[in-house]
Amino acid sequence: MADAILRIKNLQKSFGALEVLKGVDMDVQKGEVVVILGPSGSGKSTLLRCVNRLEEPTGGEIWFEDRQVNHPKTDINEVREKIGMVFQSFNLFPHLTAKGNVMLAQRKVLKRDKAEAERIAIEKLTRVGLADRVDYFPSQLSGGQQQRVAIARALAMDPHVMLFDEVTSALDPELVRGVLDVMKELALAGMTMLVVTHEMGFARDVATRAVFMDGGVIVEEGTPSEVFDNPQNERTQDFLGHIS
Amino acid sequence: MRDRLARSTRLNRVAVGALLLVMLLSVAAPAIAMTTSRLTIDQKIGGARTRFTYQATADEDAGVGRIDFLFPEGFDTDDVYIELTLLDGLRRIKADYEFEVLETGAVSITFDPIVPAKSNLFIEVYDVFTPMAGGTYEIPIEYEAVLPGGSTETRQDEGLTVKYDTPPREEALARWLDNQGWVEAWTSVKFFDIFFKPQHFVVAVPLLFKGWLKSLSLVALAFPISIVGGLLIAFMKMAKVPPVRWIASIYINVVRGTPLFLQIFVVFIGFRTVGLRIPDFPSAVAVLAFNSSAYLAEIFRAGIQSISRGQFEAASSLGMNYWQAMQYVIIPQTVKRVLPTMTSEFILLFKDTALLAAVGIFELMMYSQNYVARNANLTAFMVAAGYYLIVTIPLINLVGKLETKLAQSEHGAASPPKGRAKRGVLLGVGAPAPADSVAPGLGSAAGDPQQKLFEHSAAKHESR
Repeated sequence: MADAILRIKNLQKSFGALEVLKGVDMDVQKGEVVVILGPSGSGKSTLLRCVNRLEEPTGGEIWFEDRQVNHPKTDINEVREKIGMVFQSFNLFPHLTAKGNVMLAQRKVLKRDKAEAERIAIEKLTRVGLADRVDYFPSQLSGGQQQRVAIARALAMDPHVMLFDEVTSALDPELVRGVLDVMKELALAGMTMLVVTHEMGFARDVATRAVFMDGGVIVEEGTPSEVFDNPQNERTQDFLGHIS
Repeated sequence: MRDRLARSTRLNRVAVGALLLVMLLSVAAPAIAMTTSRLTIDQKIGGARTRFTYQATADEDAGVGRIDFLFPEGFDTDDVYIELTLLDGLRRIKADYEFEVLETGAVSITFDPIVPAKSNLFIEVYDVFTPMAGGTYEIPIEYEAVLPGGSTETRQDEGLTVKYDTPPREEALARWLDNQGWVEAWTSVKFFDIFFKPQHFVVAVPLLFKGWLKSLSLVALAFPISIVGGLLIAFMKMAKVPPVRWIASIYINVVRGTPLFLQIFVVFIGFRTVGLRIPDFPSAVAVLAFNSSAYLAEIFRAGIQSISRGQFEAASSLGMNYWQAMQYVIIPQTVKRVLPTMTSEFILLFKDTALLAAVGIFELMMYSQNYVARNANLTAFMVAAGYYLIVTIPLINLVGKLETKLAQSEHGAASPPKGRAKRGVLLGVGAPAPADSVAPGLGSAAGDPQQKLFEHSAAKHESR
């Protein structure tokens, strides 16, 4: 418990009358790769987006390292620097090249000088296999390549945790592999990761823990093999039955 | 006397010779001149069709048989005609007269019967073409005094002088055009004569140029101010604090919901009535900027809000604050999107400078209106139209090009991948997140943001 990097306590989130999260508790240890599974509308993306407060929680607490993320006095931008996020729709900045995308926040948020930001940008883009695409604009890259630029962009901030929100869902099947490989490599390198995904193969191979959510609560959690091979909860069984 | 009524040219010469002789004599022995004579002209500039007005009272001792206006060289009297009034005291008396133009250019008016002594003469000589070269010209006036006994003598009126300025080059050009056959042929078509008269064209073009520069400088100053103002109002409208939003909304709605014409009157007449005296030009710039800011604010707000929310979220997730995200991520993308609409707004504002004519700002419209009122010819309006179009046509073309370019970059020259698109959202090459798809909880179906912008600008066109 002591070295939990992320602690979520009784997290609640409503959009008006719609209660999306109904009290979620979760601790994430440093180096863990937690895969969050569940049907559409189960609240898994919302959970992820509450962690860096893209959604404002309506109840409960989120602690990142030694700070309460959803405390009014917390400078959320300082927290977000340390929490990388990758989106389903990439959200690359279309007016900047791949390198420019990776450099922007380094320069403006971390105040790195241009040379250093550029060096790191090229290093990260090389790491995701895009050394030869640094000067391409997003519109000139395939979806898979764009998503890998987005991962490089998050990595350049030296985050302590990475959030992946259905990052392969918008990709053509043949492009999914490359992105998953990058994520797997990250996991192996010890990055703490929260991954919302439908890629069961990835979850089984890479995750240290699988969490199954439904109806705004965590229904079941355990090691991937426990959850996948021997689901206890009826809804988990049902969901996995449909997926595989 | 009677033979003079049907004079031949030969006789004219004799007559003039005689006049000259008498002139010499009269210098030696001053004749009695007609009293209180006065000569006026109705043009201050030379080279123009001019009316000469002459007023005098006949001598006490003699009637007047003839008056000669000895126009000097350079005056063209070929087309003159005369209007004449004779008064005995206040009673109008019948005047029988004939006039002719001598070879020398002198205009000679012969009376039969003679003008009785002490009568008042009022003579208008129309359509004298004055010389191009301005300056002071002597116009001697001689008359044949008919004494009670029937004898006549030639007397000279006071030496009268007329003075006018040399016309500007365009005026001279216009006068030259007056005498060209092709111009006459062209203007014989009434439509061309009213709307496209070359003589007015050559004068109006340089004259209206000043107004054009004024209109341009008005909009060149007002537009940058309204860009700053528009951005300010746009951000106020998107502010989190409700009162700030309300202020922006009220401003936008009031300005967009009332005619610019009225706003101009409020500033120019209203402020003046209250005692606020601001010079015309700054007031004009201010009222244009005030108006345009509201429109630009809506253009900017629509542009900013048309950027996918995901862009803002991506910037936020990297630790950028609101203003950093705006400055480095949202605004650069917005600029490209709002450029066509902004250019349209510039065109509208430029055209709207014409409304300032109503409060006496000497801009393009005012110049043309003045010219038209003075010359009773609409050519100046056509010239003004030309000056407006010189600016607007290239910009209208530019808007078209920008829109095409934008459409290409938004929807992608490369077609988006046909692969599975979750939640019905197309994401892929060349289409930077066209719709807001990120937040499952937000679920806003934004539609085509560009379409919204176009609709916005279309709505504006109707609103004015």
